[in-house]
Amino acid sequence: MKKLIALMLALVLSVAAFGCNNAPADDEKGGEGDGAKVYNVVNLVNGNLGDKSFFDSAESGLKELADAGRITYKTIEMGGTDADQPTWKTTLDDVSSSGEYDLVICGTYQMPEYLNEIAAKYPNQKYLIYDSEASQPNVVNINYKQNDMGYLVGVFAAAMTTETSVANINEQAVVGFVGGVDSPVINDFLYGFIQGAQATNADIKVDTRYVNSYTDTATAKELALSMINDKGCDIVWGVAGLSGNGAAEAALESGKAWFIGVDSDQELTLDAETAAITLTSGLKNIGQSLVWFFDEWDAGNGHFGENILLGINEGGVGIVTDKNFAKVAPQGVQDKVNEAIKAVSEGTIQVGTAIGDETGAAEALRESVRP
Amino acid sequence: MWEQLFEMIFKPDFLFSVIRITSPILFAALAAVVAEKAGVTNIGLEGIMSITALFGTLISYWTQSWAVGVLGALIVGIALALLLGFFALKLKTDIILGGIALNMIGGGGTIFLLYLFTGLRGNTGELTTPEMLIPQVNIPLLKDIPVVGEILSGHSLLTYIAFFMVFLTWLMLYKTSLGLNIRAVGENQNAADSVGVSVVRIKYIALGISGALAGLGGAYMSMYYSRSWNSGMIAGRGFIALAAQAMGQGEPTGSMWSSLLFGLANALKNKMEGMQGMSSYLVASIPYVVTVLGLVIYAVATIRRVKKTRRAQNAMTAPAGEEK
Repeated sequence: MKKLIALMLALVLSVAAFGCNNAPADDEKGGEGDGAKVYNVVNLVNGNLGDKSFFDSAESGLKELADAGRITYKTIEMGGTDADQPTWKTTLDDVSSSGEYDLVICGTYQMPEYLNEIAAKYPNQKYLIYDSEASQPNVVNINYKQNDMGYLVGVFAAAMTTETSVANINEQAVVGFVGGVDSPVINDFLYGFIQGAQATNADIKVDTRYVNSYTDTATAKELALSMINDKGCDIVWGVAGLSGNGAAEAALESGKAWFIGVDSDQELTLDAETAAITLTSGLKNIGQSLVWFFDEWDAGNGHFGENILLGINEGGVGIVTDKNFAKVAPQGVQDKVNEAIKAVSEGTIQVGTAIGDETGAAEALRESVRP
Repeated sequence: MWEQLFEMIFKPDFLFSVIRITSPILFAALAAVVAEKAGVTNIGLEGIMSITALFGTLISYWTQSWAVGVLGALIVGIALALLLGFFALKLKTDIILGGIALNMIGGGGTIFLLYLFTGLRGNTGELTTPEMLIPQVNIPLLKDIPVVGEILSGHSLLTYIAFFMVFLTWLMLYKTSLGLNIRAVGENQNAADSVGVSVVRIKYIALGISGALAGLGGAYMSMYYSRSWNSGMIAGRGFIALAAQAMGQGEPTGSMWSSLLFGLANALKNKMEGMQGMSSYLVASIPYVVTVLGLVIYAVATIRRVKKTRRAQNAMTAPAGEEK
């Protein structure tokens, strides 16, 4: 009996270990590129693929590059729980010491601490970190103008919230923002959002609340329900990772509000009912930014040691303008959004940022527009 | 500022949300009560809730029936708790460590299971259909009463079951021979053993009940509260339930009141998040401040009571002393 249990446990463990590491180790399909170097890349995911967002986006960008024969890559899913955290640094160390890879890719705000240490230890290894910043000369840091994205979403939400001819829209000019944590990155979305909203409607009110978690869907739902029922919000933007879906559920359940997604096109990832009340999504195209980086690298601009900020022009950020957006939003609203896209990409509109801002301007603005 | 707050609080909607927030905590708190009464500490509630929440969603997805999903969550909950019992009672591992292991499986193992069964890795959002969701119940007559009806009617079926379970748990613990055995085993298992009670069997049964209750809590989370399962969605509710059990002195009704206190504090927090000039970090601490305050009030009351009885005892024994 004991032996049988031991055997079964061993089996389960080995299946688990195998299951977690069956990332697509890419075969040798490179070499077709016209003489350009085929890079061997490792992508470290400090979570799991299948988030329909960040990590999947990075993966799709790498896949696009691999399919074009420009890189060979391997993705390692390190897991995202507290228990997995100790492996992040050791995995970084392992892939760096192997010397097999031309580039080590990782991302998110949780990685710089480890990356700084390991990158200093292996000065000849090249690294790329997305959506965060390390401080080593052999690391290229790619960030996204989420404030620009926020601006576009803000323009849209403010234009939409007074279109009472549309279902679920009330006459009050109040929109909601459910954020993950009161932090500079989240507030960067918010800062752009409020600026965009104010540019469209000077009297707009924005109810901002933070979940203080990126996974607590239920609390996000409570917050959004309170915005909708107490303050008359009819459009809620969820910028809170997995918790954000709670805001979508609140909008659906209340039957009197719309939801806006973030990072990826959430209309494609939510269930049919919730997708139906999702107006649009602000996009962060991690995958496209990786393609952009390899274009630059091939052209001889490695950008190592630099902090790069990608916006609309580089395909780094954007807003979904098909499906529900095209179906539900009146033409006038769509025009305003398209104008804003044009103005931001041409640089005629400069959106303020909350990152590196010590004056607290974003926080002050947030408080001044509360309903 | 106060005006703003009162405006949001003096609404049926606020108390409705208190009950909605309380329900999953209450299930888990009752689960902790039953296990603790039998002298086994089930700190794996968080993990059990996370895993049963996943299985509730998966089973209801496969069968397209929420009822089967809830039943499945309940059975998986029992199985997990019995597994914990097997390790702790049969293989003699430390039950705290076993509980921690369950919590870790709830964190990472669930993603693996989700991937294994569906190929998804983060959340089950795209699988949800209306048939998979636990229905809300409008209670006839009650729902037509102004204010009270708005607060008490229209909750999830499981919410009513949760509060009914408080009564059932009390009934089971204090009015049945099983309850007597459970309490006896928890108080002094050697004594119980000496009169022929099978200590191990009783502990298994108590753990099983505990798992079933936690399973219902898990189902509530993923099949009603959220429309889908996602990793980390229990977000500490299993641990808060342990605190609620301790604050409620390990009694079903006491734990219900402390669960409601947590629900109230959380609902208050959610409203205050939207107020002018409130730091979200400060507001986030409200449930914990309330807990500490609750414990202080409870401790002061207990000390007073003890002092009073001691004084009464002294008054009774003092004359006897003088006579000598």
